[in-house]
Amino acid sequence: MRVIAVIPAYNEETRIGSVVRAARTYAAEVIVVDDGSTDATGHKATEAGARVLRHMDNCGPGAATMTGIEAARLLQADVITTLDADEQHDAHDMPALLTPIERGEADVVFADRFALRNAIPLIRRFFNAIGNVVTLLATGRWVHDSQCGFKAFGPRAVKEIQLRMNGFEFCTEIVRESVQHRWRITQVPVKVLYSAYTLAKGQSFATGMKTAFKILLRSFLR
Amino acid sequence: MTPYQIAAPLLSLLALMYAWNLVLRQKKTIWEALLWTLFWGGIAFIALKPDVLSYLSVATGIKDQVNAIFVTSIGILFFFVFYVIIRIEELHQRFARIIREMALREAGMREDAVPEDKR
Repeated sequence: MRVIAVIPAYNEETRIGSVVRAARTYAAEVIVVDDGSTDATGHKATEAGARVLRHMDNCGPGAATMTGIEAARLLQADVITTLDADEQHDAHDMPALLTPIERGEADVVFADRFALRNAIPLIRRFFNAIGNVVTLLATGRWVHDSQCGFKAFGPRAVKEIQLRMNGFEFCTEIVRESVQHRWRITQVPVKVLYSAYTLAKGQSFATGMKTAFKILLRSFLR
Repeated sequence: MTPYQIAAPLLSLLALMYAWNLVLRQKKTIWEALLWTLFWGGIAFIALKPDVLSYLSVATGIKDQVNAIFVTSIGILFFFVFYVIIRIEELHQRFARIIREMALREAGMREDAVPEDKR
C-alpha cells in the first residue's frame, strides 16, 4: 500500500523539519501544505524532504488538509495519514494507525490521545470533551478524541472524502463523512506531547466556541 | 381550523420531504434529518395543538400576543442572520478551493484546464 503523510502547517519553521523527517520513516511521501505562513515553514519542509504545496493566503487547517488530501490522491495514494506540524504527535505511532487499514478492518482510524496516560492539561481535556459532545450532537457518532489531527484514511476513505470546512471544524466534518459514507472506524491509543509551544498554538476558548457554534449551525441548516 | 393550522403542517411536511430527499441523495445524514424532523414536527404540532403553548407561557412568561410576535420576529431574524453566516462561509469555501487549485497547479500537480492557444 502506498502511504502518503499529509501535514498542514502554518508558521511552524522551528518544528516542521523534524516532523517531516520522522514521518518519512513510515510514508512513501510526505506532503506539507504551507497554509500562507509568513516564516520559512515551506523552505524548512522542502529541506527535510517533503513535497510542499503553498497556499497564497491562510485558509485554515481544514482547507490545508483537503489540499494535502487532493495532492495525495493525484500521487496515487492508497492510504493517507494526517498529522500536526507542531510535534504534538509522535510519527512513530503511524504503524499502529496503519495496522487496522492494512488488515482491512477499518476505513478510517482515529488517534486517541486520552487512552494512554498522557500528560494532558486539564483545560485541554475539558475543551476536547466539549468538542466530542458537539461532534456527537452534530453527527450522532461518539469518537473518544474527535478533535485530534492524527488520523489514517484507508483506500475507500481516500477516494470518497470531501472536506468543505476550512477551520478547525474539519475534525468534526471527518466524523460526519464517516457516518455519511458508512466507513468502518477504529480508534487507536497514541502518545501526545504537550509543551508550552503546542499549548500556545492551540485553539483559544473563543475559537473553540465559534467552531462549536458553526458545527451545530451547519449540521442543522445543511 | 385556522388557515395557519393548515399552512404550518403543510409547510412542515414539505420541509421534511425535502430533508429526507437530501438523505436519499446522500447530501444530509440521517441524524441531521432527524434534527429537522424534530424541529418541523414541533412547528406542526404547535400549529395543530396550540394549547401546548400554555406550558411554554408558564416557563417563559410570554402571555400576550404582542410578546409572542416579538419573540417570533427575533427568531426569524436570528434565522436570517444564521443563513447569512452560512452563505459567507460558503464564499470562504469557494475562496479556499481557488487557492487549493492554484497551489496544486503551482506544484505542477494539475494541468491547466484551459489550453494555451485559448488563453
